[in-house]
Amino acid sequence: MAFLSILMKNLLKGPSTEPLPTADSPTPAAYRGKVTFDETACVGCKMCEHVCPGGAIRFEERPEGLRFMIWHNTCVNCGLCSHYCLTKAIKLSNDWHLSHLQADKYRLTDQALVAYAACSGCGTKMLPTADALMRLAYKKVSPRSEHLRHLCPDCRRSASVSGDIQ
Amino acid sequence: MNFLSRMSKKSPWLYRINAGSCNGCDVELATTACIPRYDVERLGCQYCGSPKHADIVLVTGPLTARVKDKVLRVYEEIPDPKVTVAIGVCPISGGVFRESYSIVGPIDRYLPVDVNVPGCPPRPQAIIEGIAKAIEIWAGRI
Ligand code: SF4
Ligand code: SF4
Ligand code: SF4
Repeated sequence: MAFLSILMKNLLKGPSTEPLPTADSPTPAAYRGKVTFDETACVGCKMCEHVCPGGAIRFEERPEGLRFMIWHNTCVNCGLCSHYCLTKAIKLSNDWHLSHLQADKYRLTDQALVAYAACSGCGTKMLPTADALMRLAYKKVSPRSEHLRHLCPDCRRSASVSGDIQ
Repeated sequence: MNFLSRMSKKSPWLYRINAGSCNGCDVELATTACIPRYDVERLGCQYCGSPKHADIVLVTGPLTARVKDKVLRVYEEIPDPKVTVAIGVCPISGGVFRESYSIVGPIDRYLPVDVNVPGCPPRPQAIIEGIAKAIEIWAGRI
């Protein structure tokens, strides 16, 4: 008679088929889907571009900053970029709705610009130091580190040597 | 429109071509068809064993140099009109095999592709989404 209880259980549970494509299906939060990029956290180390096995990520130096590009059609969702990104500026979302018509093949891209900032000492262009990097590098952000943050490497060196750090 | 074409609008037959895939995408295609949780046959379609019966072609794999002629020969045997779906990043761009010496793809160099389903492999839900798009195109083509 065990089959009767199984039958009852199955009846109460309802169909196990997911309602796709008329409704969304549950996706685990940790599912590795479409890559997202946060230009305010990127420090321009280009490690993600270096480790990407699909060659999906490209950086380009522009006069106004560092341009980030990703073509999702060659991303294999391996998660290496996110694993090696120190500041977690690049992450994998659980969005998997990527199927598209052939006409959109080369439009399945994302672009962002990590804009240059000016050094507060000499005014040369430099990549801004992201908040995420400050939190990683210093236990506590002090006025000193806050001051050094806005300096280019040359000015930072002379500021450190001369003791002029307030 | 006669009775047959009205019916075949709603019941296209799927056919699968492996163009040198690592088998990952093929496993997902089998999952999509065989596991009740996904059940692609709800959409009215069904896998068939012969290219001569096919309406929607699902291509997996990056099109290796060795398999290219065979893939193109089988593809030609599929009667027109047909809808071509690229499953996985391999046939779309080459994925991890991009620019390898043994790869002649992406497949849109040789075949007219209609729908792309990226992923490595795409999950069954994504494949169903892609096939639903292909069925729409199929209904417009017949
Ligand atoms: S996204 Fe991360 S790994 Fe890539 S360049 Fe920016 S900081 Fe470096
Ligand atoms: S998930 Fe892998 S393939 Fe995709 S962009 Fe990141 S490193 Fe490249
Ligand atoms: S897309 Fe990924 S899983 Fe699919 S055939 Fe290519 S390598 Fe294998």
